[in-house]
Amino acid sequence: MKSLELVNIRKDYGGAVAVAGMSMQIARGELVSLLGPSGCGKTTTLRMVAGFVAPSAGSVLIDGRDVTRLAPYERDTALVFQSYALFPHMTVAQNVGFGLEMRKVGRAEREAQSLEALRRVRLEHLADRYPRQLSGGQQQRVALARGLVLNPAVFLLDEPLSNLDAKLRGEVRSEIRALQQSLELTTLMVTHDQEEALTMSDRLVLMEGGRVRQAGTAQDLYERPADAFVAEFVGRSNVIEGRAEGGGFRTACGTLLPAAAAGAAGGSFYAIRPEKIVLAREDAGEGVGGALREILYLGAQTEYTVMLGQTPVTVIAATPGPDDALAGLRTGDPVRLSWPGASARLLGA
Amino acid sequence: MAKLVLPAGLLVLLLLGGPMLLMLRYSFNVFDPLFLMKQAFTFENYARAVADPYYQKILTTTILVALACTALTTLLAYGPAYWLARMESRWKSKLTILTMFPLLVGGVVRSAGYLALLSTDGLVNAALRGAGIIAEPLQLLYTPGAVIFATVGIVLPYMILTLASVIESIPRQVEEAAANLGARPGRSFFRVLMPLSLPGVLAGATLVFILCMNAYATPLLLGGPQFQMMAPAVYEQFARASNWPFGAALAFLLLIVTVILTSLGSSVIARRYRAG
Repeated sequence: MKSLELVNIRKDYGGAVAVAGMSMQIARGELVSLLGPSGCGKTTTLRMVAGFVAPSAGSVLIDGRDVTRLAPYERDTALVFQSYALFPHMTVAQNVGFGLEMRKVGRAEREAQSLEALRRVRLEHLADRYPRQLSGGQQQRVALARGLVLNPAVFLLDEPLSNLDAKLRGEVRSEIRALQQSLELTTLMVTHDQEEALTMSDRLVLMEGGRVRQAGTAQDLYERPADAFVAEFVGRSNVIEGRAEGGGFRTACGTLLPAAAAGAAGGSFYAIRPEKIVLAREDAGEGVGGALREILYLGAQTEYTVMLGQTPVTVIAATPGPDDALAGLRTGDPVRLSWPGASARLLGA
Repeated sequence: MAKLVLPAGLLVLLLLGGPMLLMLRYSFNVFDPLFLMKQAFTFENYARAVADPYYQKILTTTILVALACTALTTLLAYGPAYWLARMESRWKSKLTILTMFPLLVGGVVRSAGYLALLSTDGLVNAALRGAGIIAEPLQLLYTPGAVIFATVGIVLPYMILTLASVIESIPRQVEEAAANLGARPGRSFFRVLMPLSLPGVLAGATLVFILCMNAYATPLLLGGPQFQMMAPAVYEQFARASNWPFGAALAFLLLIVTVILTSLGSSVIARRYRAG
């Protein structure tokens, strides 16, 4: 029995389809991310689980029980809103205790449990403050505590990191994951940020246009993308149009690229990750020749854009040291790119 | 910048404060049948306004009617205000304008409308008789009920619009969070929506209470000769009795009572809900 199960749920708004028949399961203690561009239906799916949106068809099961027709307040879910949605007129402790209050837990017990939840997010010293007196990161942790104090069957996170600054983001990311794992919370997270999804989830579900494009572990989606959309959305990819030819792939502008097998012979797209490509000076002798168009220094890494005919290809490599052969490269220089054919994938659209 | 604002500021101050100060001064004068009034500095007018049972009764009626109207208006306005505030369709702006529409017509005209609605051969009686519910027309007009009914109708738009703008500023997610945490609609209303919309309720109730305390046309047209409220009584002193000092004193008594009651009400309600 799965903690959360969506069976072919669908949502139409008038003629527009927001979610077009989607099924998924989340096991107890598992964190699954719904990933996708805005408008892909991920938020609608989350809201159907919480009960704010009634599915047009299909069902939502929590711990095997059909909750599709239940009101939000009758479901054992806790949603951490993107905006946190703390109650501004209540103290931190009252916010965290609200769910217990609604479940008619006595005052003393409520206060003890709220404090325990606040301790988990290291905010017990701020219990008597009001939300407006807290920083964004602290408000976020109050919102987390308010949900997890209820020990919900399903924990829902809506873009949990989007309102935090970049420095805090990494910190909160590990903190949420650690909490989720130690409490074994069954969690569904919605995000448009692939890095967030890759680092935090046990599994990912990539959605687009109301449909699931691919579901699987981070490695599945990154190493074995099902199609060009997945390859481009998860991590970075050079996706090049063309057709398979013999043992390789002929780009639209005529360059022959190495490919491992003619497995996905029908594929009209060729995907290669920027970090799998080896960049060398032209005199290296092997690989595909091109012209260096752009060099972006990123600190530890450097990003190069190389033109193979009319096709731009991005290469990411460790920034060369002063004695490195690549150290003196300038835009316009002729270079060679090489990679094992097995690193590339032939994909459908 | 300050120099540029100064002339306009002085003009506004003169327009707003001038008449008030003048009336305040008059209220300490002595009435004179021949010369209208004599310069003096006496509290006699105030003493009479407070002590005279006739005016005590009028003031009490005014306060009770205003309180009843404010309470009823708040109760009636909350639902439509919430509905309007949370509406997402293209009808929202049209309905908001429609709510404002009655305000384009003056209180006198609308009071006359209620007159036509409630009179013995008015719409309500005609409908009830037509439906066979009553045989003889009901005496609806010239009752306190008629005044309250009509006053509520007249001030409702102010309340709905004030409440709607405050409810609109409460994020929907806060209500969703309450539901998500297990709050049924009733609990969510009393624990979250009501305390958060309290500033709007207070602002609206204060506005409505002041309007009701100063209602003039409605009590005059719908209350009949036996039913007296303060604003018509003040007018009577100025226009009929030509007793300007006493009229001014009555007006300031009304003002003082209104100020005391509104500030008292706000602080009591605010304290009660903020503690939650």
